[in-house]
Amino acid sequence: METVKVMLYILVFPGFLFQMIYSTYLEWVDRKLYARMQNRRGPLYTGWSGVLQPVADIVKLFAKEDVTPAASDKFMFNILPLVALASACTAGLYLPVWHLTGFNSFQGDLVVVVYLLAMPSFVLFLAGWFSVSPFSLIGATRVLTQLFAYEVPFFLALLTPAVVAGSWKIADIAKYPWASGNWWVIPLQVLAFIVAVLALQAKLERVPFDIPEAETEVVAGPLTEYSGKKLAVFRIQKDISMYAGSALIAALFLGGFGGGLYLGALQLVLKTLLVVALLSVIRGACARIRIDQIVSFSWRYLAPMSIVQFLIVLLLKGGGVI
Amino acid sequence: MFKKLVTWARVKSPWILHFNSGACNACDIEILASLMPHYDLERFGVMLKASPRHADVLVCSGSVTKQIAPRLKRIYEQMPDPKFVVAVGACACSGGAFRGCYNVLGGIDSVIPVSAYIPGCPVKPEAIIDGVAKLLAQLDKESA
Repeated sequence: METVKVMLYILVFPGFLFQMIYSTYLEWVDRKLYARMQNRRGPLYTGWSGVLQPVADIVKLFAKEDVTPAASDKFMFNILPLVALASACTAGLYLPVWHLTGFNSFQGDLVVVVYLLAMPSFVLFLAGWFSVSPFSLIGATRVLTQLFAYEVPFFLALLTPAVVAGSWKIADIAKYPWASGNWWVIPLQVLAFIVAVLALQAKLERVPFDIPEAETEVVAGPLTEYSGKKLAVFRIQKDISMYAGSALIAALFLGGFGGGLYLGALQLVLKTLLVVALLSVIRGACARIRIDQIVSFSWRYLAPMSIVQFLIVLLLKGGGVI
Repeated sequence: MFKKLVTWARVKSPWILHFNSGACNACDIEILASLMPHYDLERFGVMLKASPRHADVLVCSGSVTKQIAPRLKRIYEQMPDPKFVVAVGACACSGGAFRGCYNVLGGIDSVIPVSAYIPGCPVKPEAIIDGVAKLLAQLDKESA
């Protein structure tokens, strides 16, 4: 019985099935908002108002021919999409969407989730590297360069709520405002929230940080040689990463998903939608920047911003206010 | 049932790759215009893809010159099945004004098989949308 329950957790509710369905919905919201920002309508005729558009894309890709280039490393080329999908799904599995706790929360799961969210970037680098095409090689090196720019500010930003709550457990951090009543810590951490959202945008490689897959320069970057099923798996992974990243930010900065099952589910939807809407607005409002610009932007603005935020929180903590 | 689902997905999500095989740029501008907000092909799920590996429909404009012919063939072969080719403009359909030139082979169909011809010099965005819609309707009908 216990095994069945765990399998259900992993495969159905906080796990794979829920993440896949909900993340296609998030992608639809993102595409619609992006289209509205550009004065367009976005997907319109696939299901109600185009809500099934991401599903149609994925089904179509699964039904297409799967090309493995002759020059590529066959084993790595085929296995990498699954590794990326598995790590993104596992990251989503540890989030406290289940009665304010994850189904498998433990002390330090914040570090694990951040690590699992960073995995797809490494996988993308390896995917570009092993497909042995000039475009994917350039894209792969850009993935890594960009990783060095946004990863440290992302870490520092996520450190702030952990210090406020005095715990490395995401569930504890999410529970902190509910338990202590200190709701004012949410507006206090606005700097770290901004840094985290921008770094998530860079992590998901979306405009203005879509340098690795800049189609005017490097075709489709690391995914140039991917087609059919493997591309579909990478697309699912990107959607799930968006869900997991936005839910992580919502859990850490926006007060988690407390208040019982229904209220919690409602908050999960509203808060992830809020983060995704922010990401879409950034995507719609900006143009792509250069690789040196993202590195200097991250280290000149994002990292100092998160350090300032960290200092504010540390001083308040030392003063005994929090 | 499964086949129906796949056909539905294929009709609803055609990703296109734009290829200029020697056009004067007029048709290309019209193709881009049809992707822009005013006509917004994303309503039908059409997305412009950069890599031939991701694309379903190859949208070609212009007559095929001798120099571009092997490249056009290679791009076509790089696309995964099932794939479709749409010839946009009079030149792409038959060679147009350049038919019989010393350096021109003819229309797109002199190198690769073409599924839909959209005439015009240059074609209107409405004509491109109509052509793509007819191709997709045909696809829907054939597999039903």
